[in-house]
Amino acid sequence: MNRTYRQRSVPRTLALVLFAGCTQLQADPFSQADLMRWQQEYASVVERGEKLFHGGLGNPNTVSCDQCHPNAANTHPETYPKFQQQLGRVAALWEMINWCIQNPLESPPLAADDSRLIALQAYITQERKGVKLDPGKH
Amino acid sequence: MNGYSRRDFVKSGGALLALSSLPLSMVELAFGKGDAQRFTFAYISDSHITQIKGREFVRNWDRGLIRAVTEANLLDPRPDFFFYGGDIAQLGKRAEIDHGLDILSALRGQTHYVIGEHDYYLDLGDYWRKQLGPDHYSFDHKGVHFVVLNSILTYDHWTHDRWGSGEERMQQMARLDNPQGSPFMVGEAQRKWLQQDLSKVSRDTPLVVFSHSPLQKIYKGWNFWTDDAEQVQALLEPFAKVTVLYGHVHQIQTNQIGNISFHAAMATAWPWPYPATYRQQASYLPKLTVNMNRADPFFERDATGWQFIDLHSGLANVHYTLPGNRNRVVAFDEKLGHPADLRYRLAANREPSQTHY
Amino acid sequence: MIKRLSLSCLLLGASFTTSAGLLGLPPVPVPVDNPQTPEKIALGKRLFNDARFSADGKVSCATCHQQAKAFTDGLPVSKGFNDLTGTRNAPTVINAAYMRSLFWDGREPDLEGQSMQPPVNPVEGGLPDHGPQLRVIRGDPEYVRAFKRVFGVEAGQIAMEHVAKAIASFERTILAGDSPFDRYFYGADQTAMTAEQVQGLKLFVGKGRCVSCHRIEQTQALFTDNRFHNIGIGFKKIRGKEQEIAAAYLQSKHRGANVDVTVLTKQDMSELGRFAVTENVTQVGAFKTPTLRNIAETGPYMHDGSLETLEDVIDFYNNGGRVKENDPLSGFLSGGIRPLDLSDREKQQLVAFLKALTSHQLEQLTQR
Repeated sequence: MNRTYRQRSVPRTLALVLFAGCTQLQADPFSQADLMRWQQEYASVVERGEKLFHGGLGNPNTVSCDQCHPNAANTHPETYPKFQQQLGRVAALWEMINWCIQNPLESPPLAADDSRLIALQAYITQERKGVKLDPGKH
Repeated sequence: MNGYSRRDFVKSGGALLALSSLPLSMVELAFGKGDAQRFTFAYISDSHITQIKGREFVRNWDRGLIRAVTEANLLDPRPDFFFYGGDIAQLGKRAEIDHGLDILSALRGQTHYVIGEHDYYLDLGDYWRKQLGPDHYSFDHKGVHFVVLNSILTYDHWTHDRWGSGEERMQQMARLDNPQGSPFMVGEAQRKWLQQDLSKVSRDTPLVVFSHSPLQKIYKGWNFWTDDAEQVQALLEPFAKVTVLYGHVHQIQTNQIGNISFHAAMATAWPWPYPATYRQQASYLPKLTVNMNRADPFFERDATGWQFIDLHSGLANVHYTLPGNRNRVVAFDEKLGHPADLRYRLAANREPSQTHY
Repeated sequence: MIKRLSLSCLLLGASFTTSAGLLGLPPVPVPVDNPQTPEKIALGKRLFNDARFSADGKVSCATCHQQAKAFTDGLPVSKGFNDLTGTRNAPTVINAAYMRSLFWDGREPDLEGQSMQPPVNPVEGGLPDHGPQLRVIRGDPEYVRAFKRVFGVEAGQIAMEHVAKAIASFERTILAGDSPFDRYFYGADQTAMTAEQVQGLKLFVGKGRCVSCHRIEQTQALFTDNRFHNIGIGFKKIRGKEQEIAAAYLQSKHRGANVDVTVLTKQDMSELGRFAVTENVTQVGAFKTPTLRNIAETGPYMHDGSLETLEDVIDFYNNGGRVKENDPLSGFLSGGIRPLDLSDREKQQLVAFLKALTSHQLEQLTQR
């Protein structure tokens, strides 16, 4: 009985597997081409972040992030979320970026999903690539 | 309950601290009078006055310079003179240089000036020299030979042929982390001048050399660099006591190379991170450095400051005046043969905010 | 009467020995060499209110730190012996237990040190030294019994150290937290503050730039950083003369002049602030950040009492550290002070929020 079942089901199972391969029924379907494209898109956002960081925000007082943070040094993205004294509570990186935009840069804060804020975070984190996560570190 | 002892508080106000926060009169008492070569001068640097438009300047940098001048004027007895370490302006504009000089004019005494790249690259120092005279010179004072260098020159091609305008060139040089930047140098002409100048000075005359760039090679990516550092150091090597005072880095740095002590000035405007905190590149930090504190960006004067130098027998003690933080004294230790931070020399005495990462 | 006081002190004592403490406040720091006991606290309260420790028999701690006025006196600067006026505004005793230094210039490290100064200051208690104080205590049988019980000392051994410890113990019970702000922020009670006060809180930690000195943290809020800042108050009195005044001050200090006496009797030297204690040129005109808890009850404001209302205070900060918008700025101004560009509405919201820092415990404290 088993043997009959097996004989008839092998080709069917095989067919199913092949079929799955062709139509990408795995959980997370993306290709090498997708990866490369997305990496380039990310790089373009990092590039935009780099420009914004280096005077591209257009704030009237002309102060730019790179004046205190060349190459985004001393921004410590790997330590967020953490207690941020200037905000009086535990906060995330984007909130501290906004604090800097409002205070040394004397400019209105950006919305959390503002593409400029995303770009800034991308650049800041990219410049810190490889540094171990250490959330909460002051 | 949090128990503590009153004695802990009192202990922390000990005699050692007195040296690092007292004004001049107390310093004299501590060291004792009678040293004929003893005198002091104040040293303010890196104000980066920035014009927004018309008579409107970036308030933060204005306040920084005003604060340094106001505090320096409290020194009693008065210092022999003042030195300004470079980068009065941010983009080299006349309005910026004028506004900075206006604030500095409140200093009670004569001021000598060192040029910085932010003063130079708009018009190659034209307006600076018109207002302040030559950008390299020397003079003698109470047995000490002072030399001021223009150490922020760079390759001719980058200076003259690369950029479309003075403004563009200045913007390029203004960016610290500029991949299209060009390293600072003293250059052959000035090295020849220096050699000539020093040939008339006896080997046991103490030298104090002012330079905007470090006369060392620290981190090229941020132009904490002087390309012909070794050659300049070689010219200084024959002298018994040499102190190099430099600006540009906006942080405390200390070093001793042979007979030369190196001290960096704090900026009045804003602090810069230590190069080692940029993890994507390697750098070298002058090894005697005891880090300044990390800035709290809420306090615009945090991790900024100015300094006064107390010269005794040709050796320099640098007193860093740091708003919102304990003042520092980096004093020449004759037993060790190099400068050392009086309070924080031992790692065990350091404060958490001095850890940069 | 003493028994009743002891009982109420015990009850109050019980309320802060719970692990949570008062809502919004950390546990009270108590030095190892001065633990709290009900008898010591009661003794301290007696000493605090005893006007015999002054040259005319009329001035006690309570003269400038009146229970009914939130432990202040409601005056710009205090008046002591013979109605003589000092130079500084009386800070409240409420929550002073959390201060890491006492006085506007931090010249004493703790409550024990602080209480010994006023009786011997010429414009406060007016006594030549502590002798008269000790004579009164040693000659008073009730005091002698109390000191014996609390410190185990005979009359002749009673010293200022014991007096100071008892007063400090009493002061460590003068606490007030659990304000509407605390209940909103830490107690998750969305109804504890009004909508205007909630907006005021947002400004306090945002555009108002208050939180960096008047600290709020994730689980507690002291509303002070225990540091010293020059915010621009009073500098006009010494403007242009700072160098001479500083030099004159240092000379007199190094010839033995007492800091406490000098800063309360010499108006110009008083304006030197923390510099008078540390001799640090970066601290000219810098004064300690007071707590904002119960601030609506402790006016007038600032080290010289020069700002009468909370609205005046907000205006002063909004102008970037000056009374009028185009007044000159102090060269020593803290880097934290700058013009804020608040609208009238925003200023009102901030004032409303400050009123949310008044603790209901004040009622109990002022009626004890």
